[in-house]
Amino acid sequence: MAYVIGVDVGGTFTDAVLDDDAGTVVAAKAPSTPDDYSRGVMEALAGLAEQLAEPVAEMLGKTHHVAHGTTSSLNALVMGNVPPVGFLTTVGHRDSIFIMNVEGRYLGSSPDELQNVLGQSKNHGLIPKRHALEVVERIDRDGNIVVPLDEDSVRTAVNSLLAEGIRSIAVSLLWSFKNPVHERRIRELIHGIDPGVFVALSSEVSPRIREFARNATTIMSSQIGPGLGEYLGVLEGRLREQGLAGPLLVMQSNGGAIAASEAPSTAISTVGSVLTGGVVGAVSLGRQLAHRNIITTDVGGTTFLVGLIVDGEPVRASTTIINHHPVNVPTLKVHAIGSGGGAIAWIDAGGNLQVGPRSAQSVPGPACYDTGGTEPTNTDANLVLGILPESGLLGGRKALNVEAARRAIREKIAGPLGLSVEDAAAAIYAIQNAQTGDLLRKTVVEAGHDPRSFVLYAFGGAGPAYCASYAAEVGVREVVVPLGPVASAFSAYGLASSDVVLASELSDPGPMPFDPVRAADNFAVLEEQVRSALDRQGLSFERIECVRSLDLRYTAQLAEVSVEVPKGPLDATMMADTVAAFEKRYAELYGEGTGFSAAGIQAITFRVRGTGVLPFSPALPKLADAGGSDPSAALHSTRKVCLDARVGYVETPIYDYRALKAGHVITGPAVIEVPTTTVVVPPEMTGVVDHLGNLTIDTQRRS
Amino acid sequence: MSMQIPGSEYFSSRPVDPAVLASALPASLPVHTVTQEQIDNLDPLTYEVIRHRLWSVTEEMGEALKRMSGSPIVTDANDFDFAICDEVGQEVQVGLYNTMLVGAVDLAIYWTLQHRADNPGIREGDMFLCNDPWVGGGLHQSDVIVFQPVFHDGKLFAWTSAICHEPDLGGVGLGSFSPAAQDVFAEALPTPPIKVVRDFELQNDVADAWVRRSRVPMLVNLDLRAKIGSNSVGRKRLVDVIEQYGADTVKAVMKRMMADAESRLRRKLTALPDGTWRATGYQDQSHEGDRGVHKITVAMTKTQDHLTFDFHGTDPQSGVINCTFAGMRGGVMLALLPILAHDIPWSAGGLMRCFDLVAEEGTINNATFPAAVSRGPIGPAWLTGTLVAECLSQLLDQSVDLGKSVQAACCGTWDTAVVAGLDERGEFPMPFLNVMMEPMAGGFGARPQADGMDTGGLFCIPMGRIPDVEMTEFLYPLLTLWRREEPDSGGPGRQRGGVSASVAVTLYGSNNPAGLVLASAGKAVSQNNGLAGGYPGNTGLDAVARGADVHALLKQGKVPQSLEDFGGGVELGNCYAQSYLAPGEVLYMSWQGGGGYGDPLHRDPAAVADDVREQKVSPAAALQVYGVVLYDGVVDGEETAVLRDRLRDERRRRSVAPETNGAARIALESARRLDDNLVVAGNKVGCAHCGHQLADLATGTQLALAVFEGPSTEAGPQITSDPATYVDDEIVFRQLCCPGCWTAVYSAVVPKEHADHVSDVGRFALAGGSQ
Repeated sequence: MAYVIGVDVGGTFTDAVLDDDAGTVVAAKAPSTPDDYSRGVMEALAGLAEQLAEPVAEMLGKTHHVAHGTTSSLNALVMGNVPPVGFLTTVGHRDSIFIMNVEGRYLGSSPDELQNVLGQSKNHGLIPKRHALEVVERIDRDGNIVVPLDEDSVRTAVNSLLAEGIRSIAVSLLWSFKNPVHERRIRELIHGIDPGVFVALSSEVSPRIREFARNATTIMSSQIGPGLGEYLGVLEGRLREQGLAGPLLVMQSNGGAIAASEAPSTAISTVGSVLTGGVVGAVSLGRQLAHRNIITTDVGGTTFLVGLIVDGEPVRASTTIINHHPVNVPTLKVHAIGSGGGAIAWIDAGGNLQVGPRSAQSVPGPACYDTGGTEPTNTDANLVLGILPESGLLGGRKALNVEAARRAIREKIAGPLGLSVEDAAAAIYAIQNAQTGDLLRKTVVEAGHDPRSFVLYAFGGAGPAYCASYAAEVGVREVVVPLGPVASAFSAYGLASSDVVLASELSDPGPMPFDPVRAADNFAVLEEQVRSALDRQGLSFERIECVRSLDLRYTAQLAEVSVEVPKGPLDATMMADTVAAFEKRYAELYGEGTGFSAAGIQAITFRVRGTGVLPFSPALPKLADAGGSDPSAALHSTRKVCLDARVGYVETPIYDYRALKAGHVITGPAVIEVPTTTVVVPPEMTGVVDHLGNLTIDTQRRS
Repeated sequence: MSMQIPGSEYFSSRPVDPAVLASALPASLPVHTVTQEQIDNLDPLTYEVIRHRLWSVTEEMGEALKRMSGSPIVTDANDFDFAICDEVGQEVQVGLYNTMLVGAVDLAIYWTLQHRADNPGIREGDMFLCNDPWVGGGLHQSDVIVFQPVFHDGKLFAWTSAICHEPDLGGVGLGSFSPAAQDVFAEALPTPPIKVVRDFELQNDVADAWVRRSRVPMLVNLDLRAKIGSNSVGRKRLVDVIEQYGADTVKAVMKRMMADAESRLRRKLTALPDGTWRATGYQDQSHEGDRGVHKITVAMTKTQDHLTFDFHGTDPQSGVINCTFAGMRGGVMLALLPILAHDIPWSAGGLMRCFDLVAEEGTINNATFPAAVSRGPIGPAWLTGTLVAECLSQLLDQSVDLGKSVQAACCGTWDTAVVAGLDERGEFPMPFLNVMMEPMAGGFGARPQADGMDTGGLFCIPMGRIPDVEMTEFLYPLLTLWRREEPDSGGPGRQRGGVSASVAVTLYGSNNPAGLVLASAGKAVSQNNGLAGGYPGNTGLDAVARGADVHALLKQGKVPQSLEDFGGGVELGNCYAQSYLAPGEVLYMSWQGGGGYGDPLHRDPAAVADDVREQKVSPAAALQVYGVVLYDGVVDGEETAVLRDRLRDERRRRSVAPETNGAARIALESARRLDDNLVVAGNKVGCAHCGHQLADLATGTQLALAVFEGPSTEAGPQITSDPATYVDDEIVFRQLCCPGCWTAVYSAVVPKEHADHVSDVGRFALAGGSQ
């Protein structure tokens, strides 16, 4: 028997989940240790071992692999806490990363930031200009060498970077994805001068057309690669010392994982993993609950993240935005649409009540935390409305100060608007629900889907108080609040239950119909890369599945649409089928008749995603059956709760989740207190506890 | 210039009183509206919920348009916009893209209600297309609007609209732009509102007639469908909102959004001092062969909560540099939205109630038919915006807090180059047409507390972007030799203007000469002047390395990196020119950075050292313009102080002292700020730095400033050309200094005849509140 361990290092906590084929699932938590994250990891692992009643060495000895997700690289980038790096590029094009295609001024901004042009800046450049140097060479769009590499120009540039104390160099030349020979030669030259310098080549990190994003991606990778390598070296050392025989894998933002030894060279591919862990967990849970189309919402104190799972597969994106830069990393698409429980309610200059996007963050936090916050937040409104208990969460850390919450709402909202504190709180709650509904709908619709054909999963501490309402707002009927043993470590559970996915891509732009032989060659090269990379993971897979996809666009459009290319030998018919699939998907996304194929269709980027299917199918443990639907045994108390301003406060039953069993039916209005969160079942809705301990709310059914 | 064509005034749309407009509609077109009471009775919760929902509907429309469109002008340059309007066309919610279009959308709807309601009728399922800039909807014929009435229960409830710039709609010039045009008949045909969708169905006859005029009919067709799709999304979502909340409630929210924006802007204005501020700017050359300078002048008067922009004195319409009323209004919005309304929701219908426009007919920013107007948005409308921004800056700079929205002029135009030729890279030669998009990377103006953004973009297209070099080279037979920020292109100042950039391209994969059309302004007269003594940013420069053989150089392993490297002659491009680019030759373009703020001799020397290190300022300019002495990049404080004194002496030596130059001082402690250099105490205006009294408002009419006028190149290395190359008028660098401490109060490159608005104390008489 073998274990799989998932470890998710977040900003505050390090979560670990261990499972196996035999129904064992345990979770543990430890504080994250930013000075050396591996310490927190080892502590969380010790927590797992304790629950198994095994020594750590014995547990690790039986472990098939450890899947590790970390936020440290992303934090380093966002905080600018990275070592100085150098950048070498084609003569005449150094300023690509300073001009930033102009969009660097506003990429990733929220709507209110976009409207305030005078509030924007470009002061988030990756490196100073003196660390960006040019080398003489030029390659054209077909990969032909126009001007051969001037090696002296390389040596001069490298020596001047090294003289500045730089130990990591990003190399990104124009059209290098069509012909990487100059980039590779530059690496040889750098290592000829100093073999200890970390080098990132754009043709390896991101062989994709559009130099600005490729430059930025390569530079960021060179900024975090050395640090990631060092950290993983220490962690792997500790794990080996403690008896881990299987591989240590690092989670990538595309939901897959790569061997720790390979992670630093494409470090950028690991940055978004911490955001996507929840989506991966939802895929796994969805499989057990037979849900194919899922909207995942992860609402924490400061963020509101949305992901989509369509037909059992998470929706992917090929680009993400970090620090106002487009970054080429295949990723699970996660939208940040709001600011979570800490979102501040305020009155704008027109006297209108608004909620967010500003957040009270963790410092000073909501007013009711008594940690210095004076502005009213969603959490404060929920406390006033009785949704949250004054005693705080059942997990029982600290009591909440309802007077502080009332004061903040009275002073900032109720007074100025001439409302009672209760009505003001109810208005905040309703606006939060409606706006979340708008943003959620926008996210789903812009991805080309109808929210009514989805189930919604709500996790994170602050989501379940709202999820039934915002789900109803967008027409979703069924809401699942995952609550079983791993609910508080859902991301780590995702890590522990996922297969190994690797992707490889290459831009080879050209008009469709694309030569099937050239396309087949491109895919063959990519598939070979993916298969050999999977081989290097040191794992035994049950099988390897490869999926080919191609990004297409109508001529001259900015946005490409990715479509799957079916298995089998490529011929003209199959290329034509691919075009048809593109046109169909395009019409789904943008409306019937909006495509115009006479303008021409272009192929841009080829991609192969390989999944190494592991010989496990970890299942969650089953909850005891209640034997009936009546939940009164779990009734904890009643209190006055206001869920609708028009109805006012209603004496509402409060259930203790820990006493609920499978089959219990809860009729709204009701509040369920869970150690980690609070779930609201609104009036005229019904919740059912399922066999895995999740609460499923039907937004349309009265019991 | 030709006389206005009789009958053409029928097509001139102007803002109308919505009540008058509604009451004139035929009985066959009932409209849905609500009472003031219904608006007042909205509860804050419902209002906010629906307001947010309408925002998300508009967002969805924009997203649909952007992603469906085929033209790089939309997908990359974001030159498009969209709006939801109420039943009579007032703009309730607009997009954040080309903000000038906001001034044109409602005009097209007003006109349609006035002229289409009876025949052919305005019915559910219709969509209208329009590209007549006199009617509105856009600023020139290339801006094409598709707009749609939305009905509820048989009543006209609202309008949705989507506009984008089309790459070519015919006419004699490539890209529908002819630098030689004498009138509109040489340009794309203006099309007044025409039903392109009827009963929810695209009319093929109309669509065919529409695309037939274009050199790129397929892209125009794709864009037409994109705009229809965007409107369909808008309608469907709006109908959903009505179904959920009820038509009256939704309409009440729409009305209140506009009223809310209006009252917030009015409150902001009320809190500011009343007064009149003036600004004058120029277009150098009006068309191919012209050597004139053409001015727009504006007097902005603020009285309590209302602004009036009076353009009397603006030059008559001329050549291609004209815009219609829609352009003048769009120009005002381009400045007003980000400067006064960045913290107010853009319910433009409400915001536009806060100002009036006063202008003569037949001028370059209020042109009558058949003036050529293809340069409208990027010439006169843009300049109108720059001048309005200058007036608003004078108003706001008196307050440290509101001064955060003060900004010197940004890149003042769109430097156009269209390259069209034969793409011979594929199996069969294909024609290509590329509008160079790089000039989107202009510099922003400096501000009282911040440098201008380097290659920040264009102020009027907040979400503009430029394509990657690789995407350009993939699509077109061009090789980009460089694309780089240009040191010194930002206007010097205490805060430096943002730098702009330059690009050099050569044909690659085409063995035939390509046609080349150039259009720009600001090559002789600055369009990016500074504020409060800050210097202008660079002049623009377009050139062809004539007779060069760049391929021979590449074969030798050289990638040329400056105009001098090419060999052959350098042919400067006029502001308006039609030319060609032969294989082996190079097109070089250098567009405008932003103006500076404050006197560069007051800039922190450490900031200058940073600028030199980051290659924003050349070592030579650090010495000559900023007076900063650096050794190995480190400031020498003593030598810098000595040099700065010497530069001030030089100002004293070359300037004409004011006639009345007393030794009076004003008390700085009790003085109130006017801008970086001027303060007012009681009736006296003085220098903020040395206290030298510059005017007594009770008796004087002019500030007693020292005046220097010299060659424009005296402004610094950013002035890259001799104005005589482009225009006959004498162009000077004019600098006004405090005769006490020789701080520059005004520094600009202007025609010698330029009226001095800076010394005119009229702008303080009311503002100072001294009367």
